[in-house]
Amino acid sequence: MTTPRPTPVRPAPPGATALPVIRARGVTMAYGDVDVLHGIDLDIHQGEVFALLGPNGAGKTTTVEILEGFRQRSSGEVSVLGADPERGDDAWRGRIGLVLQSWRDHRRWRVAELLTHFATYYPDPRDPAGLLDLVGLTGQAGQQVDRLSGGQRRRLDVALGIVGRPELLFLDEPTTGFDPEARHEFHLLVERLAREEGVTVLLTTHDLVEAERLADRIAMLVGGRIRACGTPAELARRAAAQAEVRWTADDGTAHRERTEDPSRLVWELHQDATGPIAGLEVRRPTLEDTYLHMVHREDDGADEAVEGEAQAV
Amino acid sequence: MKGTSMTGKTDEAGVADVAEVNGAPGGTKRSRPTRTYWRAGFLRGGIELRHLLRNPKELSGHLTNVVVALLVAVYINDDVPGTQTPMSHLVIAGFAAYLLFQVGLISLPQILVTEREEGALLRLRATPGGIPAYLIAKCLLVVVTAVGSLALLLAATALVADGPLPRGPGDWLTLAWVTTLGLLAVVPLGAAIGAVLPNPREALALIMLPTMGLLVTSGAVFPITVLPVPVQQVASVFPLKWMAQGLRSALLPDSAQAAEPAGSWELPMVALVLTAWAVIGFLLAIPLLRRAARRESGSRMSARLRKAEQGGAKAS
Repeated sequence: MTTPRPTPVRPAPPGATALPVIRARGVTMAYGDVDVLHGIDLDIHQGEVFALLGPNGAGKTTTVEILEGFRQRSSGEVSVLGADPERGDDAWRGRIGLVLQSWRDHRRWRVAELLTHFATYYPDPRDPAGLLDLVGLTGQAGQQVDRLSGGQRRRLDVALGIVGRPELLFLDEPTTGFDPEARHEFHLLVERLAREEGVTVLLTTHDLVEAERLADRIAMLVGGRIRACGTPAELARRAAAQAEVRWTADDGTAHRERTEDPSRLVWELHQDATGPIAGLEVRRPTLEDTYLHMVHREDDGADEAVEGEAQAV
Repeated sequence: MKGTSMTGKTDEAGVADVAEVNGAPGGTKRSRPTRTYWRAGFLRGGIELRHLLRNPKELSGHLTNVVVALLVAVYINDDVPGTQTPMSHLVIAGFAAYLLFQVGLISLPQILVTEREEGALLRLRATPGGIPAYLIAKCLLVVVTAVGSLALLLAATALVADGPLPRGPGDWLTLAWVTTLGLLAVVPLGAAIGAVLPNPREALALIMLPTMGLLVTSGAVFPITVLPVPVQQVASVFPLKWMAQGLRSALLPDSAQAAEPAGSWELPMVALVLTAWAVIGFLLAIPLLRRAARRESGSRMSARLRKAEQGGAKAS
């Protein structure tokens, strides 16, 4: 899973390369005396799928809501699609899509009715029927929103989020409550939006597998600071976590050893062995290892050990 | 017309809101015409009305007043003391006033609080032109519901129980302006209440008691002169007393003025008090609604949802 991704095939839009879709510098947030964000720096580029990870209370929601224009930051600079979110007008709003996890609104509306209605607010909306097909709700078009299953409801939220052809899409825990197949379909949809239409996606999730699967880059937010940022592979490498090698010796005992250099260990094992090594397994550090490592480092209070990682640019 | 004057005011609020953000630097060039809000608002209002008509439970809530008024009209036979007017006519006029009062101060806040909790307000906030369209739709819904049930109440009682109807163009005119001004007095106020109330469950409890109290003390269901003078004075501060009095002047013969506390309909006072409440309502509603919309965010919605679920779990 942590193999490096191929270089993105999307061409950079001419002239737009210099200006990221989301740019934040030194964003802080304080509620009363409590500092929630201690200077967030972010650059998210067009067509990028960017995942924001972090434990509860790390400031993820605050960060995203500042970028969405729903919350006023205490200080720092933010530009989203070229505007300050606190002053975003209707045209700016129309370029942003939002999918939140706890939406239960418009329960009495019918699925197609709701989607068609929300299409009227946008200058160049997607075709509602085609969109229902895209999220697999064609069969539910005439159904009342109230009667949808949890997963169907979320897919309707996704459809509502992209009906206005947003250039930037915020996804908040989008696949909570999805079955594996629906989750897979959803991942394909997000990839398609990003790869084919150049939609920029900011994803917040607790699902590390999802982040690894979808995100071009991941930022880890712990204690109101970005602790690490990079591609999933970079993050895994950067964490000081060691790879684990497991094998079964000739006498049948199971062995496991942690090492910085698993390749060398395997090579040495083979030199000592008389034949194939039973049960040989190399487990590379995963995103989860990196994540836990980051979170624990915060718990230990070893804040200072961040070697230039806090710059998510 | 009633609808036009009301929604016209609301749109000013919407437009001011938009102008405010448009004036700020950093926005994008494309600006959407106000027409779009109206179109989306009317579409939305139409769809919500259709949902209301299709929902028997909610519809029956609005029809309760009509049914109660009908029953009262059939069962009350005596006259208003000191007049030749049937007591039932006074009660029907009172119910007509209470109906308008209820749509503005109970139904509307409840709708607003519920939809805020479910996230409809947030979704519209995240949609270009969503908030103006929402307000236009709500005004349409409230005006049609109020005027529709008022017409139904008057028609049904007139047909079934010989209920009162305006006599002559002057009375119809009075009915029209008292209804319009009455709605203007309670709808913005209801919107302001809906913007500040915490959640649908507490909201109902908080609104019901004072409105029921006013129903009893405002002279809507029996002549107000029966009550002690201090109670009359307190009730006179609130719009229901004046709405009922104004509707009585439109529906009852002039001879019934004898039963009024002042011995007359006091129409200038009706207009004055209702206008004052309309002004207060607008002054409160615009900043409070703006504040409510501004404060909406995903985390607030989730927090409320969690609280609601915990509350539900405790209750069950």
